Amino acid sequence: MAIIAGSTITASQYIACSEKRDKYGHITSRISGASAKAGHMMRDNVFQTPTHTKEYDAVIIGGGVAGLAAARMLHHRGMNNYRLLELESHTGGNASFGSNKYSAFPLGAHYLPIPNTDNQPLLDMLAEAGILTGYNSNGLPVYNETDLCYDPEERLYIHDRWQEGLIPQLGTTKTTQQELKRWLDEMQQLRAIRGTDGRYAFDIPIANSSVDPAFRELDNINMRTYLQQKGYQSEELYWYLDYCCRDDYGAGIDIISAWAGIHYFASRKGKAANADNSQMLTWPQGNGRLVQHLQQFSKEKTLQQTIVYKVTPQGNRVAIDYYDMRLHTTQRIIAKACILATPQFVTQRLIPGGTYDHDFVYSPWLVANITLDRVPESSGYQLCWDNVIYRGKSLGYVYAQQQQLTQVQPERQVVTYYLPLDHLDPVSSRKYAIALEPQQWVKLITDDLEKVHPGIHEVIRDVDITVWGHGMIRPHTGFITGAARAAAQSSPYKNIFYAHSDLSGVSIFEEAFYHGNKAANALADYCS
Amino acid sequence: MEILLLLSVFVIATCGLIYELVAGTLASYLLGDSVTQFSTIIGVYLFSMGIGAWLSRFFKKDLLSWFIQLEILVGLIGGISSALLFLLFEHAASFRLVLYLLVGLTGTLVGLELPLLMNILKDRYEFKDLVSRVFTFDYIGALLASLIFPLLLVPYLGLIRTSCFFGILNVAVAIVVCVRFKHEVQWAKYLKAKAIACIVALVAIFFWADRIMSYSEGVAFRDPVIYSHSSTYQRIVLTRSRLDLRLYLNGNLQFSSADEYRYHEALVHPPMMYSPKRSQVLVLGGGDGMAARELLKYPEVQQITLVDLDPAMTKLFRSNSMLVGLNDSSLLSPRIQVINADAFQWLKENKKQFDVAIVDFPDPGNYAVGKLYTTAFYRKLRNALTDSSVIVIQSTSPYVAPKAFWCVNATLQECNFQTIPYHTYVPSFGEWGYVMASPMPLSQHHDQLPAGLRYFTAATFRQMADFTPDMSERKVLANHLNNQILVQYFEDEWGKFQE
Repeated sequence: MAIIAGSTITASQYIACSEKRDKYGHITSRISGASAKAGHMMRDNVFQTPTHTKEYDAVIIGGGVAGLAAARMLHHRGMNNYRLLELESHTGGNASFGSNKYSAFPLGAHYLPIPNTDNQPLLDMLAEAGILTGYNSNGLPVYNETDLCYDPEERLYIHDRWQEGLIPQLGTTKTTQQELKRWLDEMQQLRAIRGTDGRYAFDIPIANSSVDPAFRELDNINMRTYLQQKGYQSEELYWYLDYCCRDDYGAGIDIISAWAGIHYFASRKGKAANADNSQMLTWPQGNGRLVQHLQQFSKEKTLQQTIVYKVTPQGNRVAIDYYDMRLHTTQRIIAKACILATPQFVTQRLIPGGTYDHDFVYSPWLVANITLDRVPESSGYQLCWDNVIYRGKSLGYVYAQQQQLTQVQPERQVVTYYLPLDHLDPVSSRKYAIALEPQQWVKLITDDLEKVHPGIHEVIRDVDITVWGHGMIRPHTGFITGAARAAAQSSPYKNIFYAHSDLSGVSIFEEAFYHGNKAANALADYCS
Repeated sequence: MEILLLLSVFVIATCGLIYELVAGTLASYLLGDSVTQFSTIIGVYLFSMGIGAWLSRFFKKDLLSWFIQLEILVGLIGGISSALLFLLFEHAASFRLVLYLLVGLTGTLVGLELPLLMNILKDRYEFKDLVSRVFTFDYIGALLASLIFPLLLVPYLGLIRTSCFFGILNVAVAIVVCVRFKHEVQWAKYLKAKAIACIVALVAIFFWADRIMSYSEGVAFRDPVIYSHSSTYQRIVLTRSRLDLRLYLNGNLQFSSADEYRYHEALVHPPMMYSPKRSQVLVLGGGDGMAARELLKYPEVQQITLVDLDPAMTKLFRSNSMLVGLNDSSLLSPRIQVINADAFQWLKENKKQFDVAIVDFPDPGNYAVGKLYTTAFYRKLRNALTDSSVIVIQSTSPYVAPKAFWCVNATLQECNFQTIPYHTYVPSFGEWGYVMASPMPLSQHHDQLPAGLRYFTAATFRQMADFTPDMSERKVLANHLNNQILVQYFEDEWGKFQE
């Protein structure tokens, strides 16, 4: 299996020092990413009592997808007297994006699967953004064709060549192919299956999923155990599912619960007039496209580079204390209510008496945008949108310029390289990641890609590195159905609301969007 | 000493004939019609030699120095002549003029050589010995040149290297004479330095010949390559045979001058017959100006907007005299506006509406071009049309690739276009297909075709719209950005055909 989280490989072994350093001398690089330093200022609470006070109806803390979705919903509910406080110099969270001379590129999340047709709030937002253009006579959504992922979508490097699609085919035995087919058939069945409460066993948002114990108990075993119980044996299938879990959750099948592992497949029931559930909506800047739409609603009301360090309920009011990194002053906002669109490890530090339950585990990630002359030709299927390496340390790379319509080949190409840092436990991985210099990342990334593109170091020009220390919530065994998640669903205070994908247990756009809407609606109801 | 001078006669004679052969071959490559080209080149060359011979009377002093100077000059001009002609072919407005000027100059210089040499030798030989020896070596050299030129030089060295090589020989003669007669020659050192500089230049061209024109490519094409250029977007190659001139883009045949009228008449006249209005016409692709040529036959056409990605293409077909002859200077017409832009991008920004649109893109052989055949593209195109506009799409071969052909039809239909698919026979392509389409039901609005068409008639068109069973409609999917099914059909069908 690929590198398994929790194993005891040390950092120095991980970066095998194999070749001369000057091989990478021409590659420029830098590290960006969530401001760990600023975040730790909050953790260590080094601030003085605020001198200035302002009043608003509401405050949203955190400008990730949940916070932005909440702001949009407040706008739709007619509540415009609010502020959104964001730690970074831009909003967007995991769906942030960047760009250079050659292309826009995602810094994190890069696609949205075709949404389920009953997820009306999401469909409405997509329609509002012009991504969903209408409904056909059967009531199926019609998506803007230019926003769907263009063909060829995916390829896999296996047995020294690229094959079309991500499910291993090349050089697999008949037994393996039968097992893969059996798996996909099983998922197809589970996609339609409902629990005794009449709800889908696996749904998005997760909150809508059935509570039928027959399915919920799958959360108590890990994905590997599930596969073993079902009699699966083929190495390719185990790899594929490990890849899927790492892709969506930042950890492999030994960590991720069977319920979450299955959810990845069975929750996707999306349909459209011009696409099916296997397809994606994507843009060169990844989900930055969705963020750009959401940002419009709160652009004027966002205070960037602010560290909220204390949230104090005061009867019918809430006091929010923050440090303005631009003005170097501490400020206070008194609001009727507030939304904490922050992950639990932040939320619990902000509210009085909060205790962070360590059942909330976050997977660290590395995302690198690599500018290169041209992705080298290699044997087999041609360059696709998503390019995955069988049994690779990384998840491979996404080629954002695939979504360009013009014939003009970009002067240089940009690919986004995804590496879940699951070779150590999250805390150690985080420490390891923070200690690495940009050049060390360059070496690590380049050496990984050399396996599929020998000589690629020669054509790489620049590597833009984003380290996500707490990249995504990790649905490890027992987490989805566990007490910690259940307890975190609402705050102990009537005028404080939580919104974050970690409340769902899976870090996907749809869940963040759901929680943002839910919190904003609850706040608006409370205020009216 | 005499032997040395006579050997130089031999070399000079070989070189002289080689330059003549190179010029003749190059002219028939580039301009076609080899009988005319060879005959006129030989005529001009011999006549210029006469001028050279006449001029020799004005050289009275320092004959050896003049001879050395002359050798250097012949070597340089003859040596770079073919490289120069290949380079100028693209840019020169009147290529013929440049060609004959160069041939005339070389001829004059070569014509000077022998009289000058005979003047040098006249005191060392009896007159009859002199004439006999000089002309013997001259004709032996000519025989050698005429044999090695077709057998060794053209196939192995190519034209550019051949002329370079003989230019080097000419200059080498200058150096040898310079060294051997250093006491008799004025400014020997200066002449030697000049000669060496010329040799260096010629050797450089010899080794860069591939850059100037890739000969390896000549192997991939049936006929001699007369022009090749890698633009930002594609490799443009022109080949010339006895019968025709062919344009290849990235190795794919775009037209043969022998039968392109069939292709372009069938492309342009049906939509013109079916469109009620025809004053504003859009051409997408078609940088060769051939479709525009057909459109300009209609006085009603007020403006043609031609959008082609590659400025190298439109420039070539606007400036090269032979190509301008093929498209009747259509790209120079005041009624045409040539825009070098990406069609998708251009359509996104375009606000204008057109009565007719001619869509003449390369075949959908890869995913990039495939995007120009998708519903997304046709929907964008629809915004540039009125309800009664008529468009036509070149749609590959319905015989070789019926699924690909009918996929274009299905794609247009999915975008709510009414269609009339049709096909015609173009000998150099084979059976070729088009899909005419309009947002409204299609009907013929005009009977009158412009005068001077060589192929297309209304009666022919009725046959074109009829499909035999081997090309009949197939059950296919429409081409979307997220399935790119057309590229798959195309690859499958053409792949099988080429096996």
